[in-house]
Amino acid sequence: MKGSTSGMVRYWSIAIASVLALTAGPSVADVTIERGSSIIVFPKVIFDSGAVTGKQPVDTIIQITNTSNSIVFAHCNYINALPVDPRFPPSETNPPRWQEVNFDIFLTKQQPTHWVVSSGRTQFPGDDVCYGDGNMVIERDCNGAGFDPGLIPLTTDPFAGELRCVEVDSSGAPINGNHLKGEATIVAQANQPAVGLVKTEISKYNALGILGLNTDLNSNNSDPVLCLGGGVRPGCRNGAEYNGCPDEVFLNHFAEGADNPVVTEFGDPSEVFTELTLVPCTQDLERQIRPKVTVQFLITNEFEDLFSASITVDCWGNFLLSEVAFSIFDEATLGTRFAQTRMTAPPEQPGFIGVAEEYHYAPFSNAPEESPVTRAALNLFGRGQRANGDIVTIQQAQ
Amino acid sequence: MMRRRISTCITLLACVCVLWGGSIVQAQVVADQPAAILMFPKILVDTSAGQSERVDTLIRISNVSNDRPITLHCFYVNTNGHCRSQSARICDPYTVGAENPCDPFDPCVPGWQETNFVVNITARQPVAWLASQGSTLCDQSANPDVPCFPLGDSKSGFEGQDNLDSRVPPVPENPFIGYLKCIGVDKNEVPDDRNDLIGVTEIITATDNAMPDLNVYDARAFNAVGITAIPERNDGDRTLVIGGGGCLGGERADLPCEEDDDCPGGECQVAEYNGCPNILILDHFFEGANDPVSGDIVNTKLTLVPCSEDFERQVPVTSPIQFLVFNEFEQRFSTSRIITCFREFRLIDIDLSNEVRSIFSAAVNGTLTGQTRMRGVIGDNPRFGYTWVAVAEEFRTKDDPMDEPTGSAAFNVHFHGSRPQSDFIHLP
Repeated sequence: MKGSTSGMVRYWSIAIASVLALTAGPSVADVTIERGSSIIVFPKVIFDSGAVTGKQPVDTIIQITNTSNSIVFAHCNYINALPVDPRFPPSETNPPRWQEVNFDIFLTKQQPTHWVVSSGRTQFPGDDVCYGDGNMVIERDCNGAGFDPGLIPLTTDPFAGELRCVEVDSSGAPINGNHLKGEATIVAQANQPAVGLVKTEISKYNALGILGLNTDLNSNNSDPVLCLGGGVRPGCRNGAEYNGCPDEVFLNHFAEGADNPVVTEFGDPSEVFTELTLVPCTQDLERQIRPKVTVQFLITNEFEDLFSASITVDCWGNFLLSEVAFSIFDEATLGTRFAQTRMTAPPEQPGFIGVAEEYHYAPFSNAPEESPVTRAALNLFGRGQRANGDIVTIQQAQ
Repeated sequence: MMRRRISTCITLLACVCVLWGGSIVQAQVVADQPAAILMFPKILVDTSAGQSERVDTLIRISNVSNDRPITLHCFYVNTNGHCRSQSARICDPYTVGAENPCDPFDPCVPGWQETNFVVNITARQPVAWLASQGSTLCDQSANPDVPCFPLGDSKSGFEGQDNLDSRVPPVPENPFIGYLKCIGVDKNEVPDDRNDLIGVTEIITATDNAMPDLNVYDARAFNAVGITAIPERNDGDRTLVIGGGGCLGGERADLPCEEDDDCPGGECQVAEYNGCPNILILDHFFEGANDPVSGDIVNTKLTLVPCSEDFERQVPVTSPIQFLVFNEFEQRFSTSRIITCFREFRLIDIDLSNEVRSIFSAAVNGTLTGQTRMRGVIGDNPRFGYTWVAVAEEFRTKDDPMDEPTGSAAFNVHFHGSRPQSDFIHLP
């Protein structure tokens, strides 16, 4: 009987492993910007009042929604990637901080919430609500009204980095619920003192979602080591708990400094520059190990000519394409107004995800020294899954 | 003992099959991955001279295949309304009173007119065109400032691939509002199952500034919504089956099937493409609330287009859309509107109200942000599936309309679930 029992255990072990391996394999969707997910990543979160850096003020509004009919908990981490002295670019003597600050939120069924990165959100039930008297709107300021999702900390001034939230249960253990979605709105001033233009400029992108696998079975083993794609490996005894990060990332963009044909059509000069923000998928927030990834760029112009370049993203990369390699993204080098860029990482390194933001300088600015007249954020496209997977390690419960 | 083992194996096999199958049907339309069909839900053009605001749309498409060219069969759908007795006069069928340019008692008739064209894109090639101008081979282009197709008679790409035979017409009217759908096909215009297309739409407005001859520009961009093909499912006919995979009619109507034998008295409709979403989810600022950073007033426009199309019979999809609105207190409102073919509206126009009384207004909801879930109600025309896709645009305005214009942003709407019913695109 003992042998029979151990045989059954063995059969079931093999069977469960087979089920997990098979279900991990064919997960066709990878990182998503359009579905409720178990991990959501806001790669570009920026706040700068200008007090320290002297730059134009910019801030970010975070929106997160629970798409389910049950209460949802999430463990969030801000990661400040600015250098120690934010007035100067990062260097060996001015290294990026990679300083994380974490907090927890909870959302009741279908609840949307928001906060402004500069001010966070307090837990105060008496926040003013918006209201009208039936004829006109009396109060339009209702920032903070609604059920507070928890205490959201203020960030440093300035702040630049990412926000990553992981769906957890009430005890703080990760679960595969796929109930979270989010958006980030970057609000900036477009100032052109030469012509007296002061304009609020906004750009918006969807948070990148990483789907938990097998939400019905909850294959997540609830430990703080989150396995994104890949197979069985150290730290991931059951293989993938979440979808993997994309194998290839695509950006369809203007060549750097190219004119916008619509602006040209309307008779004005213009220049367009693209800023790319990339974050490695792998993170070790417990041991504070900075992830690094070498991103390879393969650029194709409209003539199908190929160019290539590479850059190392250390924890958080935020750069104009023109800063990647000496003039390779410039319109003069590419020879065409538009290009497609395919980005990949070496197989032994982490995968990465990101977002792009176009800056349009027209028609009276001195690009790119002055602030752009308008900006537009774009989510990137991804294809395939990283074979080796990634691991996000969140903080142990204490 | 042996029977128990066999039984265990069968159970496990069933589990594996269910999970394996489940992973296939979960996939939906995408705005973040290459796809076989691209939908650009909103194309705007109004470049007429002498206006305070002009607008044009830049369409960018890339073939991400490393070695294979792809042909696009694209359809502009012109949704301009026209006055019934003066068909050359463009109007908005949803405005009344002084803003309606039609004569009194002359109704504005909604339009749904498609124009189709073909574009050839070589391996890895990015192409772009202006909706107002269209595009042709650069060799044939008279205006060097207008985007064109560079690979023609004088230059070719990988293994002699080129853009020959590509020509995009300008949108048929100016002003224009409508949408664009492009389907990946082979050289013989037979629908293909390659997921190699990505697309971006950029809407750019130029507004007159107080200073003479000075325009203020604003750009907003969103990804094209893609429908991914299921490999080796396309039968090459002119009816594209999107999602579903159930019995059409018969005793097992709407139930899953693999072949006609599974559908007594009916027909098994095998999905060739992954399905459109059952529910759309929009996370938005409530209308009329102040942006907590800039203090500007926020309003949102939503554009909805159907997943199904009957380009062959020129029949537009009509369906009620159910809207479910949640504020940050978890309080819930709902409303519904019947939409035909295409609709762009401010959120407060959905319930035909204003920013004081609408269920989409901050004054009614009390909070800054909300979640709206949208669902197309299933109708009785078997040629359609009644799912919809959408894009949202957010605008900031000042209290004083004489102030400088402020910015805008566009973003993709989230999806949830899929349906047992298929959507269809019927090609001419």
